[in-house]
Amino acid sequence: MIEVKKVNKSFTLFNQNNAKITVFKNLNFEVNPGEIVALKGPSGIGKSSILKMIYGSYIIDKGAIIINNKNIATLSAQEILKLRKTSIGYVSQFLKVIPRISALDVIMEPLLNSGDNKNNAYKKSIKLLKDLNIEKNLWHLSPLTFSGGEQQRINIARGFIKDLPYLLLDEPTASLDSKNRDIIINLIKAKSNRGVSIIGIFHDEYSRKKLNVREIDLNIETKH
Amino acid sequence: MIIPLLKVTNLSKSYDNIVGCKNISMSLYPGEVLGIVGESGSGKTTLINCLSGNLEPDRGKIIFNINNKETDFLNISESEKRKFIRTDLAFVHQNPRDGLRLNVSAGGNIGEKLMSVGYRHYGNIRSLATKWMNKVEIDKSRIDDLPITFSGGMLQRLQIAKNLITSPNVIFMDEPTGGLDVSVQARVLDLIRSLVNELNLTVIIVSHDLAVIRLLADKMIVMKNGTVIESGLSDQVLEDPQQEYTQLLVSSVLHV
Repeated sequence: MIEVKKVNKSFTLFNQNNAKITVFKNLNFEVNPGEIVALKGPSGIGKSSILKMIYGSYIIDKGAIIINNKNIATLSAQEILKLRKTSIGYVSQFLKVIPRISALDVIMEPLLNSGDNKNNAYKKSIKLLKDLNIEKNLWHLSPLTFSGGEQQRINIARGFIKDLPYLLLDEPTASLDSKNRDIIINLIKAKSNRGVSIIGIFHDEYSRKKLNVREIDLNIETKH
Repeated sequence: MIIPLLKVTNLSKSYDNIVGCKNISMSLYPGEVLGIVGESGSGKTTLINCLSGNLEPDRGKIIFNINNKETDFLNISESEKRKFIRTDLAFVHQNPRDGLRLNVSAGGNIGEKLMSVGYRHYGNIRSLATKWMNKVEIDKSRIDDLPITFSGGMLQRLQIAKNLITSPNVIFMDEPTGGLDVSVQARVLDLIRSLVNELNLTVIIVSHDLAVIRLLADKMIVMKNGTVIESGLSDQVLEDPQQEYTQLLVSSVLHV
């Protein structure tokens, strides 16, 4: 379970006249195992910020974010690194990789980093590439040369390759055609059926319906 | 509870009246990559020179804990220190010419390093050297060539091979991609990253290039005027910097 408790978050922009932007005041919600929560609200309201706070990329001003009975807000850097490795998958909006590394290696990396053997990681990655409908002639190329939709699927593969209890998804179905969108939706469903707590941003009504999400409307949540 | 591989407490070093670094405290755990950023003169190089034994700090503590053996780096004899530096630490210089002997063959450069930690069998040394040339993507037919015939990128890769071949426990890198042109930079970065993953290396890397830090480092510290002004997970420091100077640094990066 993910619990977000009484969270305040603001940004102070020192180099822009110390402007202070308050994003959340007293934000509360939770995500149960097997549940898919969709964050809803106009752009700029802080949907991605919530994912980043849970992942530990953003520091919160007040409150607690509890994952695995641990409060992200009070963990040290290496404790967060460990928690990420063992528990939290994060699919960002855009793929960030070093040039020259092949799609296959990009996907295998999280498994190899957790000590999985190469053969096993290879098999799992190949299966996922096939499931995701990525053409075989692309597997050994750097994803930086791929189309937006292909990059997005590699990004998802990298985030989904491990069996982790928590998944954070930042617009996983954006920039995909309907066929590939359905593939991703089914992968997300499969994770959910296995008890994974999922919190995501889904820009389209179709995905939200198909995934049977519980919506959290940030327009309401942030107006206290 | 995991014990840090390296624990630094209140480390200070000045040059006469000029502060090099002041009251630095930090921990590094096995398999972590720590990035150090900051403007020229902020004390980055002074810090890693102190940690790697190239400089004697004025005050502070440096404790290495390797395979449950604690080494109080600033309180051991000079000979113990030399041995520790030789076997447990490695230093990759920005300019590979500082870390290589240019009038000794590529294989000789690597072989020397092996001999320094006790390898004696010529055949073993040569086969290990060949294996590492291959690992850093230098054609093995170049093993008897002098480094002066190598390009900048090849020299840097040779320096990396020379440093990693003895499986050191902590690797220091001072702007390892600094002097290389962009396409070569990507290749060296990629190489460092795959070696870090494959061999589970513990690395301290100094760079003024935030993109390099983002791609390689798990944690980072930001230095200014000899002190650490901000530290944390790399993605956190880069995406949600808490200090004015760090915000300036991050917002000054040009995006292509």
